[in-house]
Amino acid sequence: MHTWKEIAHLLVNLPIGIAGFVYVVAALGIGGVLSVTVIGLPLLAFALFGARLLGKAERWRARLLLGVRIEEPSPMPSPSRRGGSFLNWLWSTLKDPVGWRTMLYCFIRLPWAVVTFTVMSVGVFVLWPILPFIARLLANADRAMVRGLLSRSDELERRIAELESDRGVVVDTAAADLRRIERDLHDGAQARLVALAMGLGLAKEKLLEDPEAAAAMVGEAHGEVKLALQELRDLARGIHPAVLTDRGLDAALSSVASRCTVPVKVTADLPTRPAAAIEGIAYFTVSELLQNVSKHSGARTASVEVWRSDQRLLIQVWDDGHGGASLDGGSGMAGLADRLGAVDGLFIIDSPTGGPTTITAELPWRDRSAD
Amino acid sequence: MGRGQAVGVQNIVEDKVRVVIAEDSVLLREGLTRLLTDRGHDVVAGVGDAEALIKTITEFAAQGTLPDVVVADVRMPPTHTDEGVRAAVLLRQRHPGLGVLVLSQYVEEQYATELLAGSSRGVGYLLKDRVAEVREFVDAVVRVAQGGTALDPEVVAQLLGRSRKQDVLVGLTPREREVLGLMAEGRTNSAIARQLVVSDGAVEKHVSNIFLKLGLSPSDGDHRRVLAVLTYLNS
Repeated sequence: MHTWKEIAHLLVNLPIGIAGFVYVVAALGIGGVLSVTVIGLPLLAFALFGARLLGKAERWRARLLLGVRIEEPSPMPSPSRRGGSFLNWLWSTLKDPVGWRTMLYCFIRLPWAVVTFTVMSVGVFVLWPILPFIARLLANADRAMVRGLLSRSDELERRIAELESDRGVVVDTAAADLRRIERDLHDGAQARLVALAMGLGLAKEKLLEDPEAAAAMVGEAHGEVKLALQELRDLARGIHPAVLTDRGLDAALSSVASRCTVPVKVTADLPTRPAAAIEGIAYFTVSELLQNVSKHSGARTASVEVWRSDQRLLIQVWDDGHGGASLDGGSGMAGLADRLGAVDGLFIIDSPTGGPTTITAELPWRDRSAD
Repeated sequence: MGRGQAVGVQNIVEDKVRVVIAEDSVLLREGLTRLLTDRGHDVVAGVGDAEALIKTITEFAAQGTLPDVVVADVRMPPTHTDEGVRAAVLLRQRHPGLGVLVLSQYVEEQYATELLAGSSRGVGYLLKDRVAEVREFVDAVVRVAQGGTALDPEVVAQLLGRSRKQDVLVGLTPREREVLGLMAEGRTNSAIARQLVVSDGAVEKHVSNIFLKLGLSPSDGDHRRVLAVLTYLNS
């Protein structure tokens, strides 16, 4: 059964090879000759687009008869999505590697198809004892061709998929951050200010009837407003600490460390400052890790080290707590790992039960632009 | 409900209402309790989420001691979205006699529409900031407890602004539009008169002019009047 399918494939190669060859030669010939006129290049673009369809048909045939399953290459970006004009579409189609590779495939298929057809026709009558063997040999060559020329270009496609998913993470993280800020404002400063307004309103009403009670209420309101100010300050620092912009990671990390409930030793060895975005991610990573140390680790002492190694920024946060930190512990570790992954960073947890915990984060180093 | 419901210091006791507060921020819950107790009202329970609110009200209803009014925050645990509104709508369906006043950090016309669906009897929707005007806020609580309406001026402004009846609204004099706004907030004629510092008679004249221009038949009850106005604006 298997062999028969392969033989069928090898025989069908000839008509399809001829058709593909004619298509390619006609497309390149006419498109090439006419490229001195306006319609030449668009014609070539349409031909390349058509070649993609031929590729699709060939992948289908290979799956049916050769049992080779090949992933579809990414579709052409549609002109509407890019918001571009016809010219944009034309240009991106003309340099579409998938289209060109399919053209090449169709072109070399004809001589190959002549070979397979001849060998098979002869084989069926003369060489039939070793026919399965020959069929397997030729079919394997066919498989290699299909894989080589009709598949997605792996390296590039994988990178695209990776970047697309990273972009998703970045967007999600930004949205989650906004939600968090809104929640903090709503539950914190906003609620405190409402309570304050309520207290002052009550005091205003009391002013004439009961001045002493009113004075006590104003006193309370004064306390409230100071708390509200502090909450706003903390929130603003949580959004972006001013000291990070002004003085860099070392100063900002010292300030985070001083607010941690366990003593933290900070060592930052950075001769120059990295790009602002990298600095920000490094800061929030350390800040969140130290919050975890405060809340979950049960540690008595911790340390933060930041240094540069080649084109990487390395961060290591260590604590002597009871360990057991993991990506699925619900302590925001997974979020951190996602965030670092989105900028091609790494996040490694080493936290055996019983401690100590060492968490290493690695970020790509980018120099600070001169702004 | 009569016209003399406006609460001054002198008639606190007469208008004493029983209140249940649902608010997840302890700070605000205590503040509200203090504010209402201070004006002579009775806060019979304070809860922190919508589920507890529904449970509490059900218990009170079973004992035959349904409170007069519920003051509920829109955003409460567990999801911090619109639990308060959903609980309020549910409670209004189950206990038609219960007044529900919803407080929110933001004004959303959609919430108002959901709350008012069917009837504007005993319903209120105010910005949290309004608690700063203690007297007006307590007025609103009492009004809702007694079956009246209390809509935030911002809700009313949104309704007026988005209404498709702009051509008719343009036909109103500025004073009439002011009266229309206050009417939609759920105020009585005498409250409107006090606010605008004019006589009751002048307000009555404005009101009948407004109803004439909008082509609505004048109705007696204040809450039905609100409903008529809101329906008109929304249609």
